[in-house]
Amino acid sequence: MRWWSFIVLGILVAALTAGPTVSQESDRQGRGQQLFTYWCRTCHGPGTWENRPLPGTGSLQNKYKGALPAVLEDRTDLASPYVQFIIRKGSEGMPFFRKTEISDDEARAIGDYLARHDRK
Amino acid sequence: MPLKLPPGTDQRTFDAAIRKFRSVVGDEWVFTSEEDVDTYRDPYSMRWGHEDEYLASAAVAPNEVEQVQAIVRIANEYRIPLYPISTGKNLTYGGAAPSYSGSVVVDLKRMNRVLRVDDKRNFALVEPGVSYFDLYRYIQEKGLKVWIDCADPGWGGVMGNSLDHGIGYTAANFRDHFGAHCGMEVVLPTGEVMRTGMGALPGADTWQDYRYGVGPWVDGLFAQANFGIVTKMGFWLFPEPEACMIGDVLVPKYSDFGSLVEHINYLEDAQLATGRPMYSSPLGLALPNDELQSLLAPGWPTTERLDSLAAQKRIPAWRVRLKMYGPAQTLRGTWAYVQQRIGRAIPGATFENDQLVELPLKPDQYPAHHLVDFGIPNMQIFSSIARRPDDPPNMADGHSDFFAIVPRTAEGCFRALETIYNVQRKLGVSPITASPFRGPTGWYHRAFFIGAPTLPNYRDDPAKNWESRKLFAAYLSAVLEQGFSPYRTNPGFHDQLAQAYSFNSNALLRFQEQLKDAADPNGVIAPGRYGIWPKRLRGSKP
Repeated sequence: MRWWSFIVLGILVAALTAGPTVSQESDRQGRGQQLFTYWCRTCHGPGTWENRPLPGTGSLQNKYKGALPAVLEDRTDLASPYVQFIIRKGSEGMPFFRKTEISDDEARAIGDYLARHDRK
Repeated sequence: MPLKLPPGTDQRTFDAAIRKFRSVVGDEWVFTSEEDVDTYRDPYSMRWGHEDEYLASAAVAPNEVEQVQAIVRIANEYRIPLYPISTGKNLTYGGAAPSYSGSVVVDLKRMNRVLRVDDKRNFALVEPGVSYFDLYRYIQEKGLKVWIDCADPGWGGVMGNSLDHGIGYTAANFRDHFGAHCGMEVVLPTGEVMRTGMGALPGADTWQDYRYGVGPWVDGLFAQANFGIVTKMGFWLFPEPEACMIGDVLVPKYSDFGSLVEHINYLEDAQLATGRPMYSSPLGLALPNDELQSLLAPGWPTTERLDSLAAQKRIPAWRVRLKMYGPAQTLRGTWAYVQQRIGRAIPGATFENDQLVELPLKPDQYPAHHLVDFGIPNMQIFSSIARRPDDPPNMADGHSDFFAIVPRTAEGCFRALETIYNVQRKLGVSPITASPFRGPTGWYHRAFFIGAPTLPNYRDDPAKNWESRKLFAAYLSAVLEQGFSPYRTNPGFHDQLAQAYSFNSNALLRFQEQLKDAADPNGVIAPGRYGIWPKRLRGSKP
C-alpha cells in the first residue's frame, strides 16, 4: 500500500465515523419536518378543524388523557425506531404505510425529527 | 405467516417471474419479504387474521407506463395474477390487498405526476399515484382557479377513487367521480397501450374535453373491473365559484319526508340546488338512546307513531341542509325561491341558518366548515373513528362501510332503513343501532345511499371480525332481496353482489365474462374483481 493511501483511508474512516455536522443535522431535521408535514400533520397536527381536533391528535388526547402531549411534535419521549415501527405497522385506526409511500430512509427521517428532543 | 404463491404456480416459476420484474423496475421496487408484503394487507379487512384473508404474494412498483407494459407481459408469460392499486388507500373497500390471494400487487403510487391542469377549459390529467392532496397543492401553488372534488380522506387517489365509483361533496356533476372523468390511457391485459375517446385520434387536443370519440365508449370497462391497468386519466374540474349559499329547510312531521324529498329532487335535477343535500333528523338527534330503544323494542315504528312523537316533542322531524354554488346575486334569488316553493307546499316548514359564504374560504374560516364541500382535501373524516374518551383499550382498528343504492323517495328510504333494522333484530344485535331517523346521503345526485351502521374490524382479535362478516353478509342478502345494492363493496362480497344482478340468467355477468375471456385470455388482471373471473379460474374460484 502506498503512503498516501493511508491518508486517504484515514480521511475516509474519519468521515464515516464522525457524527453529522450541524448543517447536515439541520438539513436532516428539515427533511424530516417536511415529510412529517406531508404525510402526518393532516392527522397529527395542532388546531381545530370542523370544530374538532385533528383525528390523530384527538385520538392521542383521549388515549393519554393529558399524561403526554396529544400533538406528536410536542412530545419529548419519542424514539425514532418506535416512530418507524408505527409507520410500518399502524396503530388503531391509523393504517400502515408502504415503502412506495414512505421509504425506509424517509421513515427514519420522520422518526429522527420526532425524536429530536432525545438529544437535548 | 408464510407468503402465498399464486395458486397453481410453483416456486420456480414464481421466482423466475420475480427475477424478470426486478430487471424491469430494479431490485428496490420489487417487494418479496414478509415484512414488506404485509404492508399490502388491508388494515380495515373484516377477514384480518382469517384463513381466507386476501393476501399478496409480492408487489412490484413501476414508475412509468413502459414498465407497466413489461410487467403485464411477464405476467402473461408466467400466468401470474396481477392486482393494480393506485394510492392503495381504498380503506373499507379493500385497501391495497388483492381480490385474489397470491396475486402480485402492481403498486402505482410512484407514478404520481400531475400531467396537466387547465383552468380555462377546466380539466386535469393525472397519473394513478396522485392523491387529492397532491392535485390540490399543485393547483394552489400555480394559483389556478379551479376546484377539485375530493373523497373524504385527502390521501385518497384521484384516479383510484373514480375507478371504484367513489363520490364526493361539491356540485352534482363533480361529485360522481367516474362521471366527471374524461379520457383514459390503459395498459391492456396483453401489454398494449390504448387511449380512449379523443386520446385515440392523433393530433387531437380534446382528450379531456370530449370523452366519447366515436363508436362504443369503453371507459366503463375499467371501473370496478379487471380489463386493464389505467395509467392516465382526465377529470373535469369545477371553475372556482364566487360564493356558496348554505341554508336549512325543516319540516315538522315525519311523514313530510316524502314531500320534502320531491321538492329537493326538483331543485337538484333542475340544477338549482347544485350542492349535496344533507338530510338529518333533529328529532332523532334529540332522542336519548334509551327512548330510541323503547321506541324500537316492539318492532319498527309506524309513520303515524313517529308523527305523534314529533308533535309531542315539538321537534322538527327532518332537516335538509342545502348548499348551492354560484354568483352571490343568483344564490340569493335561488334561496328565496326554495323558501317560497317549499313554504307554500309543506305546512309548518321553516328555514334557518342561511348564510352566504364568499369564496375562496380564508384559512381562518376553515375550522367552522366541512372543507370537502369547498374542494379542500383533509383527513377529518377519521375523527369519526378516532378514539373517544370512553373507548375501551382494545377499540376497533378499522371498519367497513355499507351504503345501499335506494330510490329518492320516502318509501325507498323507509323500506331500506326497516330492512337494516330487521337484520339487526334477527341477529340479536344489542343495542339496536338501526334507526328510523337515519337520513339518506346525497352524494350521488340521482339516487340516495342509505347506510348501515359501520362494521368494525380488529387487527389483534380476528375472532371478533367474524361478527362483522356475519352481519355484513346478512345486510347484503337482505338489501338485495329488496332490490337495493351497495354501490361498492370490499372484495369479500364481490361474487355475491355480481351474482345478484341476475336479470335474464345473469346475462350481464355472462357478457362481462365473454369480454374478459377475449381481452385477457390468460386471466392475469385482477381475477375475481367485482365477480368477473377469467375462464381458467371460473368454477374453481375460492
